[in-house]
Amino acid sequence: MRVKLEARDLVHSFNRQEALHRISFEVREGEFLSILGPSGCGKTTILRILIGLIIPDSGRVFKDGRDITFLPASRRNMGIVFQNYALFQNMTVLGNVEYALKFDKEKKARSRSLAEGIIEQVGLTEHLHKKPYKLSGGQQQRVAIARTLAMNPQVILFDEPMSALDAATRLTLREELKHIQKKFQSTMIYITHDQEEAFALSDRIMVMDKGGIEQLDTPQRILAEPGTDFVRDFVLNNLLIKTKSLVKYVKVEP
Amino acid sequence: MKNRPSLRYFSGPFKAFLGIFLLVSVLLPLLRMFANIGSVDPLAIIAGPRFKQAVIHSLTASAAATVISVALAWVFALCTLRTGMRFREILGVFGTLPMLIPSISHGMGLVFLLGANGLLTRLFNLSGSIYGLKGIVLGSVFYAFPVAFLMFSDILKYQDCSPYEAAAVLGIPRRRQFFSITLPYLRRPLVSVVFAVFTLIITDYGVPLIVGGRYATLPTLMYQEVIGLLHFGEGSVIGAFLLIPAAAAFIFDLLSRDRQSQGFVIQQTLPRKNKFRDAAALGYCLAVCFLIALPIGGFCLLVFAAKYPVDMSFSLANIERTLQMKAGRYLLNSLLIASGTAVLGTGISYALAYWTARTKGRFLKALHLISITSLAIPGLVLGLSYVLFFKGSFFYGSFAILILVNIVHFMASPYLMAYNSLGKLNIHLEEVGQTLGVGRFFVIRDVIIPQTRITILEMLSYFFVNCMMTISAVSFLAASRNRPVALLITQFETQLFFEGAAFVSVLILACNLTVKILIYLYKRKENYRDQPKRREKQRAAA
Ligand SMILES: Nc1ncnc2c1ncn2[C@@H]1O[C@H](COP(=O)(O)OP(=O)(O)OP(=O)(O)O)[C@@H](O)[C@H]1O
Ligand SMILES: [Mg+2]
Repeated sequence: MRVKLEARDLVHSFNRQEALHRISFEVREGEFLSILGPSGCGKTTILRILIGLIIPDSGRVFKDGRDITFLPASRRNMGIVFQNYALFQNMTVLGNVEYALKFDKEKKARSRSLAEGIIEQVGLTEHLHKKPYKLSGGQQQRVAIARTLAMNPQVILFDEPMSALDAATRLTLREELKHIQKKFQSTMIYITHDQEEAFALSDRIMVMDKGGIEQLDTPQRILAEPGTDFVRDFVLNNLLIKTKSLVKYVKVEP
Repeated sequence: MKNRPSLRYFSGPFKAFLGIFLLVSVLLPLLRMFANIGSVDPLAIIAGPRFKQAVIHSLTASAAATVISVALAWVFALCTLRTGMRFREILGVFGTLPMLIPSISHGMGLVFLLGANGLLTRLFNLSGSIYGLKGIVLGSVFYAFPVAFLMFSDILKYQDCSPYEAAAVLGIPRRRQFFSITLPYLRRPLVSVVFAVFTLIITDYGVPLIVGGRYATLPTLMYQEVIGLLHFGEGSVIGAFLLIPAAAAFIFDLLSRDRQSQGFVIQQTLPRKNKFRDAAALGYCLAVCFLIALPIGGFCLLVFAAKYPVDMSFSLANIERTLQMKAGRYLLNSLLIASGTAVLGTGISYALAYWTARTKGRFLKALHLISITSLAIPGLVLGLSYVLFFKGSFFYGSFAILILVNIVHFMASPYLMAYNSLGKLNIHLEEVGQTLGVGRFFVIRDVIIPQTRITILEMLSYFFVNCMMTISAVSFLAASRNRPVALLITQFETQLFFEGAAFVSVLILACNLTVKILIYLYKRKENYRDQPKRREKQRAAA
């Protein structure tokens, strides 16, 4: 598969504290890549560098082989979905999705029908004219996703999009996300705290700790051969604990 | 800023403008005033008998008025927020009414009621003079009561009631609850309110000007020195002195704000019904409101009676006479200054708050501090600084200088309003815009401003109302051409044209009330639009 995004030797510090130490990795076209790691290990920083909200202290970012390190976020053709939705609360669902389209010369004329089409895709047609605060958390996150999809980005980044949602909603939204990815064929990078979620969704998982990459591989291979002790502890043990606690509730017939 | 490419083009000129604005409008004038102290011997002035006496007078009157108004306001706030009495809301609104008339009118009100020919004096055949300490304390109480009340309501509104419920469940007696829950929670805000009210009273000169008589306080002394005797050096010394309580209050607030841990989940429950308590509360509030209404009623009586106290028949002659003395033109001046200040001040403080609340950068903390420091500068001090700094420039005597001084004088509160509500909006809005190809300017225009429109309205009204009332800073700066209408009250008072002074007070009250009512109606409309949301939430909760 083609390489869609490449990060090469990324270094970044906040207040002289290094948050990323020379990180390099590739993301393939159409891939679903999860980033997994403890709090403060630099996941969000990577995402923000990829999309252009931060310019790294050193290192390069390539998209389709082109250096985009200094390209403004607005011209990268990438979208981002945040944990707290960041919706425009003063606009309706339609308004949220249509807003950015109106700034696009080519799409301006069709903005309304484009937006309606996307909203239908995420199953929110009946809420078209509602303000976001009247929707549930899961529905709001779907508006945020629709707003991003409307711009037809080649890469979509998610920064813990589900951590504000309850377990049941997460499961449904997870399925929908899979569905959306198939349909739109977009490359997705997905930050999560939830090991199980990462294993369920991803083509590959990047495990991080303290500003470095511990392992980047398919879920199967991470399970089979964890690259470091950290990976074993952080990923496998956590998964195990989860499974065990689930097993407790399941009556096992002898 | 290297991490924020989007700010690149936008921030340079913007920051330069705000930096120059703060420099020219706050720092340089203040420095000029301090430099002026060097022209006299400050120690000799401070040691002088007149100054000493004024300090003692100021402290005595302010301390007494602070204690009384804080106590009255505290009980009033408890009654309107912590009892089940009837008419709680309307009484609460009524309690803030005195905030809409200038402090000088509160002084006038006292004279109408208790002066030699006052309504109450005649009615009850009172003897003794209202002028002096008594008058200052009474007038200041009227003036400071609503401010203290509003601050207390804010504190009580955001107090978490769940500890009380827990205590009730555990069977902890009421008195213990007071000492273990109420006092620890209230100590800091209470001190904060006391500081603020004390500062408000000690730096006010409207009340002592009218009812002070020979009881000179620091502000009246400063006014005499500067306006009467053109002793700018002496005035500067007193001005510097008046900065002390304000600075102390400011520092206390700053220190305590950081440590205050306000819970996010605020549980509010209505108190249980208690007939006796509610009746007592209602009695108290009605009494307070009656007292508040007295001076305002007095104004109206004075205005509409043909010639108080000789001829009590209804007449518009007083209004006609006041208007002949160009009150209308001065009212226009005031409206112009107040609208100008409201629009420009809101724009500047909103922009400033946007910068400090929603962007990152090195100097923002310092900028934030400077912005709220202006809270600590009394109007008189600001006025004198402006006289010293701008005298002789084309700017002096223009409407623009009055607008500028008012913006600086009243900027801190609106700035904080904007800062708080901008800080509450989702931090990612601009970034989302950026990734969608929508620039910061458009996100501000289409998302940020619409979502903070209520705050913007409140900011506009805060500037407007305060500009209509203020006399402190402008009394040094106003020439005949740009004189605001509130200063007519002083003028009419010296001309013993009390009916005119009363009419002007009523005029100002009417303007301010109109603005407040308009905003209230707008807010109610907005709330009404949001009603379905609340209903839906209730349904979801059920
Ligand atoms: N704007 C900032 N200013 C200062 N330090 C920052 C900033 N953003 C991140 N950091 C620091 O950089 C490190 C990495 O932060 P980052 O947000 O990338 O972590 P994360 O993996 O996303 O954590 P979490 O799971 O909690 O979201 C942390 O130590 C954090 O404190
Ligand atoms: Mg993060």
